[in-house]
Amino acid sequence: MIIKVAKLAKEAKMKLPDLITRPVGRFMYSKMKEKLSIIGEGETVVLDFENIKVIDSSFIDEFLVKLIIDAESADFYIKVRNISPVSEINIDSVFNSYSNYKSGRLAVIREELGKNNRYYIGPLTEHESDIIDYLKLNHHAGIDEISRFCGMESGVLKKSLEDLIRLRVIRRTDGEFVSV
Amino acid sequence: MSGSDRTLIMPDRFRDPYIFENIVAMNDAVLNSAGVIDMSRVAFIEPYSMLSFLLMGRNYLRKSGERIRLVNIPLQINQYLTRMDFLSRGVFNVSETIPDSMVLKRSISSSRLLEIVEIPNKERQSVNVIASVIALFRKRAHGILKFWMNEEVVDYFVTVISELCQNIFEHSMDSGFLAMQTYKSGNENIARLVISDSGVGIRKSFEQKSEITYSTGAELIEKALTTPISSKREFGYGLCQVNAITERLKGSVFIRSDSSSLTALYNRKEKSGKNIFLRNDLPQFDGTQISISLSS
Repeated sequence: MIIKVAKLAKEAKMKLPDLITRPVGRFMYSKMKEKLSIIGEGETVVLDFENIKVIDSSFIDEFLVKLIIDAESADFYIKVRNISPVSEINIDSVFNSYSNYKSGRLAVIREELGKNNRYYIGPLTEHESDIIDYLKLNHHAGIDEISRFCGMESGVLKKSLEDLIRLRVIRRTDGEFVSV
Repeated sequence: MSGSDRTLIMPDRFRDPYIFENIVAMNDAVLNSAGVIDMSRVAFIEPYSMLSFLLMGRNYLRKSGERIRLVNIPLQINQYLTRMDFLSRGVFNVSETIPDSMVLKRSISSSRLLEIVEIPNKERQSVNVIASVIALFRKRAHGILKFWMNEEVVDYFVTVISELCQNIFEHSMDSGFLAMQTYKSGNENIARLVISDSGVGIRKSFEQKSEITYSTGAELIEKALTTPISSKREFGYGLCQVNAITERLKGSVFIRSDSSSLTALYNRKEKSGKNIFLRNDLPQFDGTQISISLSS
């Protein structure tokens, strides 16, 4: 499912090109929940931020963070695209704060390479980053193949893969690992 | 006081947030004055000083029920205060009005500023005001940020305006004011965004958060600026994000709350590597006043 966030915001009579403040985030989240009511199990939801210039930390906290948390319980995946450089920084900052203060981490996969030169936003390790890059290029791979590419010791690699699956930035299908 | 001992004379100390401390030191004198202020010595006013002075006037109005009367305002100061909508806030009375022909025009060429806007302390109204301020800022950004212009800088400032305005209705328990202007000081061009309130202040807003420890007010301001702490939630992002953006833009941050202040200078570094400077034991001034500046 592809959700054009600007279109959704326009339907909700939000002023564009910026999506800012908590009330706006809460309102947009409730609109998204309506859209997601028909989503299939394991489906990937692409949030397209085209024509959105700034999303601030309050909006991110009320909208994106909540959707990522929902994704785990409702079993779907989130991917973002057309994130502006400033929004990327704001998302990264929120995810970093979240990871410092909560027991878990947050990350989101993105369709295009960001200003951070990564295909994701969030506080991942270098090894985790390498795995995502490899899967992005090759779409899917087995553990031996990833191990050869990353040069990681098997135990460490297994843990990294499990962590990435838990973060819902990769998935496991038929014994292989697949990019979202 | 003037010869009649009823008129308070304001010295020419409205040039930047640091010099304005001289005026803050007169806060009690203003609050206990007869409500007449002579502005004849004032030659220049920048946005931070203007908004703090507006808060002083509002505090007087709330205390006495009367507006302060400003007298002997130099023409260029009167023009500026009129242009910035300072005199139409309903806080001050003026004895001299300027003729229509002398009022500064509101043309595109004089739009390197955002006039004073009141940010309400109620979430719903505030959200609408913030959206309008940001829309106006985007319209005028090419003028305001002329010397720093690229689209990313505009987006950075949208984030900063949004975060700081939200702090007013989330934390201050009072309405506040915003203004922005690019002006020349010597050879330097300065873009200054100011957001100020006379609410509870940073220290009081963290009163219920016993896990956040600090020894001075300035140290708490530094924590709020450099770590994602929040007085309302488990953690927060606002000020921290503002700090990160200002650092990226090589600008400066000045925050004053109650009797403490913090200055973060990202445009230059001391030899020691220090760029954050704290001050305590300043004269008490309620609320939080924040200035974000770029210079070129």
